[in-house]
Formats: sequence, structure tokens, C-alpha cells
Amino acid sequence: MPGRPYHIVMVGWEWPPTHSGGLGVHCYELSKELTRLGHRITFLTPFSGPFLEVDGVTMRFPGAPGAGGKPASYPPAYWAGATADSPFWNATDGYNSWVGQLDDLAAVDIVHVHDWFGTEGAIALSARLAVPLVMTVHSTEYDRSLGHPWEHILRREQIGIDAASRVIAVSRHLRQQLIQRYGADPGKVRVIYNAVRPTGRLASIAPERRVVLYVGRLAAMKGVDTFLRAAARVAPQFPDALFVIAGEGSEYARLLHLTAALGIGEQVMFLGKVSDDERELLLAGSSVFVLPSVVEPFGIAALEAMAAGVPTIVSKTSGIAEIARGVFQVDFWDVDEFASRIAELLEYPTLRSAMGAQGRWEALREGWPERAREVVALYREARDAGGLP
Amino acid sequence: MRIVLYLHMHQPWRLGRFRYLDLGSGRSYFDVDRNLALFRGIAERCYLPALDRLIRAAREDSGFRLSLSVTGTFVEQAQVAAPTVLDRLRELHRTGQVALLSETYYHSLAFLVPPPELHEEVALHREMLRREFGTSPTVLRMTELAYSDELARFAESEGFHGMLAEGWEGVLRGASPTMRYCAAPAPTVRLLLRHYPLSDDVGFRFSSSGWGEYPLTAEKYAGWLAATPGEVVGLFMDFETFGEHHSARTGILEFLSALPEKVRAHPHLGWATVDEAIRGPPCAPLSVPYTMTWADQNRDLGAWLGNDLQRSAFEAAKKVGLAVRQTNDPAILTDWRRLLTSDHFYYMYVSGHGADQGVHQYFSSYDSPYDAYANYMNALTDLRRRALERLGVPVLK
Repeated sequence: MPGRPYHIVMVGWEWPPTHSGGLGVHCYELSKELTRLGHRITFLTPFSGPFLEVDGVTMRFPGAPGAGGKPASYPPAYWAGATADSPFWNATDGYNSWVGQLDDLAAVDIVHVHDWFGTEGAIALSARLAVPLVMTVHSTEYDRSLGHPWEHILRREQIGIDAASRVIAVSRHLRQQLIQRYGADPGKVRVIYNAVRPTGRLASIAPERRVVLYVGRLAAMKGVDTFLRAAARVAPQFPDALFVIAGEGSEYARLLHLTAALGIGEQVMFLGKVSDDERELLLAGSSVFVLPSVVEPFGIAALEAMAAGVPTIVSKTSGIAEIARGVFQVDFWDVDEFASRIAELLEYPTLRSAMGAQGRWEALREGWPERAREVVALYREARDAGGLP
Repeated sequence: MRIVLYLHMHQPWRLGRFRYLDLGSGRSYFDVDRNLALFRGIAERCYLPALDRLIRAAREDSGFRLSLSVTGTFVEQAQVAAPTVLDRLRELHRTGQVALLSETYYHSLAFLVPPPELHEEVALHREMLRREFGTSPTVLRMTELAYSDELARFAESEGFHGMLAEGWEGVLRGASPTMRYCAAPAPTVRLLLRHYPLSDDVGFRFSSSGWGEYPLTAEKYAGWLAATPGEVVGLFMDFETFGEHHSARTGILEFLSALPEKVRAHPHLGWATVDEAIRGPPCAPLSVPYTMTWADQNRDLGAWLGNDLQRSAFEAAKKVGLAVRQTNDPAILTDWRRLLTSDHFYYMYVSGHGADQGVHQYFSSYDSPYDAYANYMNALTDLRRRALERLGVPVLK
């Protein structure tokens, strides 16, 4: 292994199986590969577990026996929104002060914070330990709120981006945004894409009805209404098509009403949140996957669909559109084009199999091992820049 | 040693985005405006300046000879987008130093479609040449320089005395590409072979600064021609080589202007049109049992029919043709033939990592082969519905 092993303190949020949103999975997969390269991780989270165990990763959370801090309750998902006077807000403050005051850590080489939740604590910790701070930005408050950001969240993003020695953006589009909106020094912002892990994929299933799948949160930025409007254009011509929406979120009621208004209730199915196993099963039985996001810093769900060999349609603005060639790319507002692309994939079997095979190859040709090496190189750079060995 | 310089002029009718939702809408498949705009751009950068230089070369050097092929779709677009291109072509042809070649009107893969499609498309093209240029060629070139024993027999049955083919080691097996050949199964059909290293020196390598021979001057190139042993050297390339594939600032147009004079410096070199070059004493028979083209590393049909998308689209087009022919509807037949143009299948090529990748991307008018396929299939599906409706056959779905 080139270079010496590092001890990395990762200031995170969730960790599988708790919540298991995209952020938690990212931290888990990255940490696993980092330990394979010989590094050790102390992972900080506000939650008390249970945690999937990884050799070389020590989980720490406030309120654990001897860990200091006090246990707090958090909403099930950070996108639930928070105001400065909500319990969530107080809890975030509590997490940050706990992180900033941790004083029993073995010699630390890097502090690596993910998104805004722990930036205050991470900055304090890295300053006190005199080690570089690295920050990964998975999405920005501007994007998540579709232009109506919470001030306090923006501030936490901004201080992290300012203080970090190196910043990782998960797409070129996001990097550009960090430079333009947050004034980040272009020289310190790098693009490191997400990856998916090949799993023991199920053999393809041929269900009675052909499934057009969306997996993701039901949030305004995800463009699920476009998916439904496109479905309404396609449904009459493909009566055997079933449009499946797997995920939960604040838009659920509105989307349900839209489905009824479009008169396609019999061809649309809302599944709610699905487990990893259920998602895998769904992908194995799907003919088309659609990621219609208005804003999508990366779009890991699409990469997972590609890895499962499902032909995929993504919006042009998604981060994954920067690296995927074997997918259809559509303007997020173009309902007719989404509809046409879905219909084309349902209609032409040769197209389905060619795009499925190409997508699978693209999704799996590089994975977490490559990404982890890129992250380690950035750690090294951050230490060099700080004059540290 | 006689130099046969042969340039190919073609523009396809590219499709516009024809969405699945556009099926049955009556919209045109072809983006006429975009095609004409592209044509005008190429006319300005390439056709007009290069034709001017060729006219001058022919006037100044009575020994200069040139051969050209011009597709029907090219002429259709030129008539609307840039009629001066046709004027210049006629002017060049009138010098008497230029031969025109026969081919399919639509630059199509008609030779893989059941008869009488190939015969009819070649006849359409002949008619066009008679109308536009008052000439009737004796030499046939097939789309993408496709050649096989079967095509030679076709050429013979159509009364042609010569065909063009790639001078590929795979079929020459050690024999020289600069000797004179005739088709083994049809000895009255003489073959003119493309000297691909010398042709590609100009067609592909001229502007690559990483090439050991860069920059290529007309003098140096004439020296190479003079040093090449044999009777006939075939320099076959796209006309767009001069000003489009290599832009004017690479010096390609000056190269073209200077070449005749530099060739004159070598007394044993002379020019010949394809018609002149096929005359002469008997020659060696050459057999090509499969279809050979001038494309890619394999010189086969892989660039058009190499993957599942391409084969599926072409098979579908052939099938739709059965209904199309029965309609006897000229509009439906014309749309179908425009869809047989080889370029559409080329756009569906899935690029690998070889030397051909860059070439394919350069020529494609789509973001990806999947876009190309879906769009093509939509147009074809719509055409099929139109044909069936015309025939009074109920359309399923």
C-alpha cells in the first residue's frame, strides 16, 4: 500500500441499517474500502444504532456509555425540514457540540465531514487537533429546497466549504455550483463520483405486467410529477405497463391526487419505502427505470438500476448524466420526451437489451475501490497542503 | 503509372427527432431545415472552394483527370440549399476531364435488400445523372465501396464495364493493389482498387500533427506516388476531405491546388479517369466471396450492420419494404428509400475503444447509438402504419 495508514474521523449522519438513505450507504461503502486499503475510521453519528459492523470502523455516538453527550431523538429523515426552534435543530446543535468536544480519540490524521449536519463540530475538532478538514458535498441546500433554502443550513454548508482544505463534489455540475454559489476556491474542489457494488443480482424476472420503475424520495426536486404525467401519455398505448413508485416523502399526498386527476390509478402503484432486498427484486422485474429529477447532484438510484441491467432514462441535469452514455438523457421539464423514451423502451426489445447490457457494463466497470483510492489521494493532498507528513 | 483520383460526394437526409408520441401525427421524419443548413455550411467550407480549385486545375493542366460520384440525396439538397454547387459541378464536368460514376441514388444498402431494389435505385441515379449532367457512366461504385463477386455479376448484368473496390490485403493475398484486375465471376467488369495507405495519408492523416510525415506537402506526396510501383494507383476518398474533414486552415486546399503541378514534375506519372483506367489489355481475375467495404479496420459491413441494434433496424426496414412496395405510393416509397440510406445505420454503431471510435463519433448526428436507433425505429414504425393503412390492412395496436 502506498503511503502510511491513516486514522480518519468521519463526521457523518446516518449509517446502515439505520435509515439507510443514500448518504449512509455512501459512508458505509467508502469506509469499507478505506479499511481494505489499511486505514482506520472512527465514524461519528448522532444515532445510537444498530450499526452494520465493519472491521476497522469504530462507531461513536453521543449518549453511548462513556462517550459523553446526551442521547437525542432525531426525525426519521433529514429532508423532513427543520426550523431554528424545532427539536431537530436543538439536536443538531447538540451533535455538533459533542463532536467538537471529543477528546479521547487516538492520534487523528484527517477529519472528513459529509454534508452540513456536522460542519460546526468537524471544524472545531479539526482545528483543535490541527489536522486537515475534508468535506464531501452530496447535495446543496439550494437544490434540496428548489431555491428556497433554510438560512441556517446554508450557513452550515458555507462554513464547511470555507474551512475545508479539500472539498469533494459528487458531480461536475455540483462542483460548479460550489464554486459559483458558495465561492469555493476551484483549486480545492474535486469531483469524485459515487459508485455501486455488484451484488448477487437476481436473474431477471418477467412479471405479468411490464414495470416502469421510479425509486427515490417523494420530494419536489425529484420530479416524480413528471414521471406521472409521462405515464399518463404512455399508459393508454401500453395497457400492460405498470408504473411503480417506490419511496416515501412529503410529496406523497400531492402525487396521489395527481395520479387520480390523470386518471391512471389502475396503472400506477405507490409502494412506499422499500428495503434493499425489495428494491433488488423490483429492479430484477423492471423493464425501464426513470430518474426524472429536477435537481440531482448524483443519482445513485439510476446507477443501481444500470448495474441491475435495467435500461434507464435520466434527466440531463443529474450528475449521473455526466458519466453515463448508455442511458437516455431528457430535459427534466420535457414530459413528452420522457413519455416517448419510456414507450420506445417498452416497444423495442432490441433497444432494451442493448441499453441494459451497456448500462450494466458502465455501472460496474469502476466501483468503490477506485473511488476510495481517489479519496485517499485527496487526504494525502490535504495533509501535504497543511505541511503534515 | 496512372493516378485515378476519385472523390465521393454525399449528404444523407438526416432524421429530426421523431418521438414515439409523434407516431401517426403526419410529421415529416426528416429535419429538412437542419439538413439544408448543414449543407450550406459544408458548401461554403468545402464544396465551393474545392470545386473552384479543381476547375482551375483542369483548365490549367490538360492532363489532369478526376472522377466523381454524386448521390441523389446530395443533389436534392444542393438544388435547394446551394444550387451554385451544382453549377460548379457542371462546369467542372464540361471540361471533359472528369468522369462521373454510377451508384445507388440513396447511398443505400439496397444491395442487401431483395430485388429489384438495387436495380431500381441504380436506375434512378442514372436518370438523375442524365438529367443533371447529360452523362451515362460506365463504372459503378457501390455504397461505402462495397464490393463482392455477387455485386460484380450485378454490374455486368447492368452493362457496367468497371467497379471500384478496396485494395485490401485480405483479398489480394500478396498481390499488388496497383495492378489491373477484373472480376473473377464477370471478366468484362474491370476493377479499380483503392490504394488505402496513400488514400488515407490524405483522407485521414493529413492534419494529424502527431503523424511522422506531418506536414504533408504536395511535393512530398507526388514523390511517394512516383515511387509507387505498378500501373494504376487509386486515390479514393470523400470529397469532404478538402475543407470539411480537414478544415481550410490545415492547408488541405492548397495541397489540392498544388498537386497537379508537383505530379507533372515526374514524367512517368499521369492522370486517368475511371473510364480511361479500365481500358487496356486483359488483366488478372480477382475473387471476393464476401462483401468488402472501405470502412474501419475490418473492411466489412460491421460499421453498418455489426451490432444487434443495426441488424434489427435493417431487418425491420426490409420487412416494411414488402408493404411499402405494394402501396405504389411514391411518397411512402421515397420515405422508405431515404430510410435505407446507410448513414442511419452508421449512427447506431456502438463505439468500442479501437481506432475507429473517433471516426464514428465524428460522423454521427446523435448523442448516442440508442438515440439513433429509437428515433429510426419510430420513423419506420410510422411508415409501416402508413403503408398498411394505405393498403387497407388493419393496424394492430
